[in-house]
Amino acid sequence: MRDQRRKDAVWRFLTYAFVIAMVVVMMVPLYWMLVAATLPQEEFLQFPPRLIPGTAFLDNFAALQERLDFVRTIRNSVLIAVVYTLLSLVLCSMAGFAFAKYEFKFKEPIFYAILATLVLPIQLLVIPLFLLMAQLEWTNTFRAIILPWAANPIGIFLMRQNMKSIPDALLESARMDGATEFQIFYRIALPTMRSSLAALAIILFLFQWDLFLYPLVILESADMYTIPIGLAQLTGFQRIYYDQIMVAATLAIVPMVVLFLVLQKQFVSGILAGSLKE
Amino acid sequence: MATSDETDDRVGQTYRRRVRTRVRDATRRFRRAARPGWDRVRFARQDLTAATPTLPRVAYLFIAPFFILFGLFLAFPVFYTLYLSFFEYQGVGQGLLFWVDLGPLYVEIPRIAQLEFVGGGNYARLLGNELFWQSMFNTSYILAIQVPLMIGLALALALALNASFMRFKGVFRTAIALPVSANLVAYSTVFLLLFNEQLGFLNFVLAGVGLGPIPWLTDGFWARNTIIAAVTWRWTGYNMIILLAGLQTVPQQLYEAAEIDGANRWEKFRYVTLPQLKPVLLFVVVLSTIGTFKLFAEPYVITGGGPTNSTITIVQYIYRQAFVNFNLGYASALTVVFVTVVSVFSILQIKLGGED
Repeated sequence: MRDQRRKDAVWRFLTYAFVIAMVVVMMVPLYWMLVAATLPQEEFLQFPPRLIPGTAFLDNFAALQERLDFVRTIRNSVLIAVVYTLLSLVLCSMAGFAFAKYEFKFKEPIFYAILATLVLPIQLLVIPLFLLMAQLEWTNTFRAIILPWAANPIGIFLMRQNMKSIPDALLESARMDGATEFQIFYRIALPTMRSSLAALAIILFLFQWDLFLYPLVILESADMYTIPIGLAQLTGFQRIYYDQIMVAATLAIVPMVVLFLVLQKQFVSGILAGSLKE
Repeated sequence: MATSDETDDRVGQTYRRRVRTRVRDATRRFRRAARPGWDRVRFARQDLTAATPTLPRVAYLFIAPFFILFGLFLAFPVFYTLYLSFFEYQGVGQGLLFWVDLGPLYVEIPRIAQLEFVGGGNYARLLGNELFWQSMFNTSYILAIQVPLMIGLALALALALNASFMRFKGVFRTAIALPVSANLVAYSTVFLLLFNEQLGFLNFVLAGVGLGPIPWLTDGFWARNTIIAAVTWRWTGYNMIILLAGLQTVPQQLYEAAEIDGANRWEKFRYVTLPQLKPVLLFVVVLSTIGTFKLFAEPYVITGGGPTNSTITIVQYIYRQAFVNFNLGYASALTVVFVTVVSVFSILQIKLGGED
């Protein structure tokens, strides 16, 4: 009995040690980035490196802003990601609703065809989309960045899976009360799908927030840059200003952290419902 | 007389029409009786459509916006890539491929690219290219180590945070998931510095414990592992969250039953947790595999594909061919091969994971 208790205590200790070690590993790069962002370049590049944050954040930010309009870059990224997320949520939930709750010709084959595109890496589309955008004269515009993946296969999959769990009787009773199909979708289906919509919103936002290769090809002028493109430009200069890059990297985290913290609870239940109900 | 004749004739017409209708109805009734099976199917279908809330027109309205974008920007490019892979690209297209002129309705479809047909030439060229095989090898190497490592860590973390004795679960979970908030290029840049041979924090720590500086980014072997470390750092927490959510759906009674049977910790994991978690685990593994296959930003920023192409990934090679050298046809052939490999791999995983 005592032996068992000792074993349990050792097990607990090891578990805690593992988790705390992982937390440290996860936090170190972020903390170090924060320190670097608050130090002047010369102090930062000393050896041994400093580990306590300094006070030069605003100076570094001003210097960064002078070289690359970073406020505008953030604004571009947030604007693109928000518009994209909202548009895609609308498209995917509408289509997902139709796939879950209506019958129409070739429903199943069409759905599986969409699912198959889940496996395709988006890089596949970069070349033909580039040619298409060049032809439409859409290069260097936001619509060229926003529209192509608004019809998102992950989105329609998640929404269809979850909308299936809405009871048909609920929709039927609304129909009896004289609700139109669109009212049923808007007033009944959407509100019950709140957690799935939150999960999808995080996935879509993160996807657009990270998009690198495609905007790299499409966007040309500095005033259109998104955060990833802007950051990649910063490392390309002859002399690399690490302090400024770290300021940019720190600021680039903020919107995503906010979104993630706000929607975290719903994210978990939403993504799970979508992945399991097959 | 004339009017009477006309009237007569009109009556005659009506009569004849009525007869014709009757004959037609009778024929139909006869046919229906002759082929009862066919009709049963028809009526069954009618019943079915009446029972389910079927409003095809509305359904089409709901899916139309999705499909317009899907068709234009997803389905079309997929087939266009396949088409393009048999051609050599000569420049942006001029002139029209197709047009319709109906007065006010004038539609024209421009020719997207100037192309020269080369048949399977691009594919032959790709198979003989050393850099293609190098990039395939690099991607496979990273994949083979990174995905098991990350899923293993994520699973261990999820199990630890799911343990009943664990405190501060929310804090730990948020801390471990935080890296996913870091922008792809931003964190790559941070890692670029972190792993810098002279200035990097990592070599400083290693020196502190008496280990010599490791050439993280200047040696091929280490550079590849640096990429693995970076990707694992970013995505472990994300996968942990999904696995943690999966663990919470495992019925508690199963563990109680296993305990009564005298199962130890390992047996409970092996015979209860693992089978119950399988669908979520499979989901996470397939998505991670696809994600790692698509690796681009990290090697682009951290190593630039170097040293001596030891970290160049397939997507990076495609990017170079397409947008640096402008060999769009050749790059399309590369893309087709790449997508085939990814698809086969994913389907294989689903098949293997779905059985037993």
